[in-house]
Amino acid sequence: MADKYNEYLAVNVLNEDRVVGFPSHSPLAEFRCANDRGVVQVSYRSLSRALKVHSNLAKHMLYDFHHKQTAKKPGSVHATYLIAGTCRPETSIQANEVNGHDAEDSVMQSSPPFRSSSMPQQEESVEEDVAVKLLLLAKEEDLEEAKARFDEITSVHIYSLEPTSLKDLQVLSDCNREIRSKYSSEDPLEAWKQYGTIQNPNVKACNLLILFTIYTDSIIEKIKSQATASSRTTTLAKDEKTSNTKPGDDTKPSRRASGSHTPQAEEAATPSSKKTTVKAPTLKRDKSDIFKSFAKSKAKLITEDSAGSAGASSAPESGEPSAAEDEPMKDVSEDEQEDDFVLVNSKDTEVANRRSKAEKAEREERLRKMMEEEDEPMNDAPSVAGMDDSQEQLLTQKTESQQSAEQEPEATTTVSGGRRRGRRRVMKKKTVKDEEGYLVTKEEPVWESFSEEEPVAKKVKMPTAAATTAKGKKGGGGGKPGQGNIMSFFSKK
Amino acid sequence: MASSAPLTTYASLISTFTDFLTVAIHTILYERAIYPQTSFLSARKYNYPVRQSRHPKVCQWINDAVSAVEAELLTCSVDRVAVVIYAPESLGNKPLELFMFDVSRFPVIPAGETTTPFEQTSGNVAVDLEEQFRATMSKLSVCGTSLKHLPASCTFTVAIELKDDEPNKGRLNAPIGHPQPWVPVPPNLQRSRGARKDGADLGGVKTTPVRAVEAGECVFEMWIEEGKAKQNVATRAEPSSGEVV
Repeated sequence: MADKYNEYLAVNVLNEDRVVGFPSHSPLAEFRCANDRGVVQVSYRSLSRALKVHSNLAKHMLYDFHHKQTAKKPGSVHATYLIAGTCRPETSIQANEVNGHDAEDSVMQSSPPFRSSSMPQQEESVEEDVAVKLLLLAKEEDLEEAKARFDEITSVHIYSLEPTSLKDLQVLSDCNREIRSKYSSEDPLEAWKQYGTIQNPNVKACNLLILFTIYTDSIIEKIKSQATASSRTTTLAKDEKTSNTKPGDDTKPSRRASGSHTPQAEEAATPSSKKTTVKAPTLKRDKSDIFKSFAKSKAKLITEDSAGSAGASSAPESGEPSAAEDEPMKDVSEDEQEDDFVLVNSKDTEVANRRSKAEKAEREERLRKMMEEEDEPMNDAPSVAGMDDSQEQLLTQKTESQQSAEQEPEATTTVSGGRRRGRRRVMKKKTVKDEEGYLVTKEEPVWESFSEEEPVAKKVKMPTAAATTAKGKKGGGGGKPGQGNIMSFFSKK
Repeated sequence: MASSAPLTTYASLISTFTDFLTVAIHTILYERAIYPQTSFLSARKYNYPVRQSRHPKVCQWINDAVSAVEAELLTCSVDRVAVVIYAPESLGNKPLELFMFDVSRFPVIPAGETTTPFEQTSGNVAVDLEEQFRATMSKLSVCGTSLKHLPASCTFTVAIELKDDEPNKGRLNAPIGHPQPWVPVPPNLQRSRGARKDGADLGGVKTTPVRAVEAGECVFEMWIEEGKAKQNVATRAEPSSGEVV
């Protein structure tokens, strides 16, 4: 191991006369080496990756090799040093001015550069002397001069070795490209210990969020697939596609937590990727589907207060297609309403279906709640994988990882005198102005007491007509009295 | 920019090569300090940092020269392409360095077939080609420092050496009818022909190979020659290095 680096460096750096790729009839063919790339410079990072050693050890190796070779034959190997330290602001100004013309040193400063432009006038009158951290890449012949720039040097080490002095230090960036291409398969979370890359202890793999996204997507899919006809699957496919086309689209400023992830994905997708007008009609339809699965009633979509709320901007649009898709979608919204409370009164066979839907929707509610609490924007919306097994898996994972999970109070209902009363959760939309001036729509579940006989009180934005017809369709379950609904007759009995 | 399918047709091969030639000329100008280094900006080509001149006239000149070379390349008559660095007027205007691209091994095809795909394109040619170009660039930038120092205010040009006049699919390589008068090659630079040997000065005083690129049909070699004049210039210029021309 100790000698490996000598050999590696000798082959890659030292052999000046080595020319690669000359045809076999050329006398230089003997210098052709297995690595047809013809490495000319080796940085400590590429050495550490190649020999699988810690970066600090690689730095030592570079120094040792350089030392030995220059002792044997001066000038055979050229080193580029990286100096880190602090310096006074006045010195840094000079560095900035010099930087434009000086091809020798590249100055990377961590302090804001604007300082330097204002400094020249105020040099004498500066009271606070803010130390500037400086990282300097210097050729070996400029080492002493570079060191003189620093007030205090925290570290000096060799950055790279090359056969001759480099005119242009930026070619060293090629080493990093090589690392990226050759060693990209290594998992950075494991490799960091070996190579000594700087690691944030709080970082964890993004997998949970990705799975979370899959889970919510799958919930939506399940609800839709059960409630709707097979003709709906085409729109489902579109949903998947639109959510898929937003890979890693971290919509930083316009974070829309409008209660569901997929519309968020779509909204992000529209401004960022698909700006064509062709997308708008498809998006309308997709949005309406999603909204229906979440909104308490389809009518809510129509009358939703879309005052500046980005998420609801398509609500009026979705009103039209939703009207067209009135009949089938009512089932879905109906489910949403029923699912929150325990079904007491129904004797229909539909109850069985609805119960399973209820479980799923309850999970979905809990998820939504958790989503609301989590402040980070969802990063990757990857392709929706196989859902069934992942659902359970996800649910357990999610409940494990959730530390501050609010326990969702149970929705209670009581039946008295033929009325259902109780408290239950309702999704309400709130539009809030962000600190950056962006309007953020949050769909929050809020507790609300309801009484069956007054459906208007139940949902503020729900027009009665649609609700009653929706209810009416269900038949024996949840029929509201006094709405001109013939079925109300039977529910009370 | 190279076509999306490099090296499938002769035309795309030539266009890939001329892109490379343009980048190489910019790099040579930077490395040999023909123009001040501040007049170059950093760019990326073939996934590698390169330098490109910012001066519009320089870029225009290089583009014109390269398109002239391209025109000749399309007729398959080019033997070598050379970027020559001359000493400044005061030092006699002699060629000091020569960056030679030997393209004699490019395929020779009849005039009408420039867009016909080659019969066999082996493997992932595009990636291989990029990597080789990258290696050439990197070697070129390193070679620049190993060459002896050039005096200030050198000038440069691009030259083509045509293939010798062989009946080449019925085409003449010699530019008969070219408006400018022909000048015979001095004996020390004549190439071998039959019994005669290469001229004594061919190949310069010192030849530094750079790279041989071989990717599909694109096969060429590159090397640097330093001339005798450079030796003379170097010895003369040293005591008077403070003078600016």
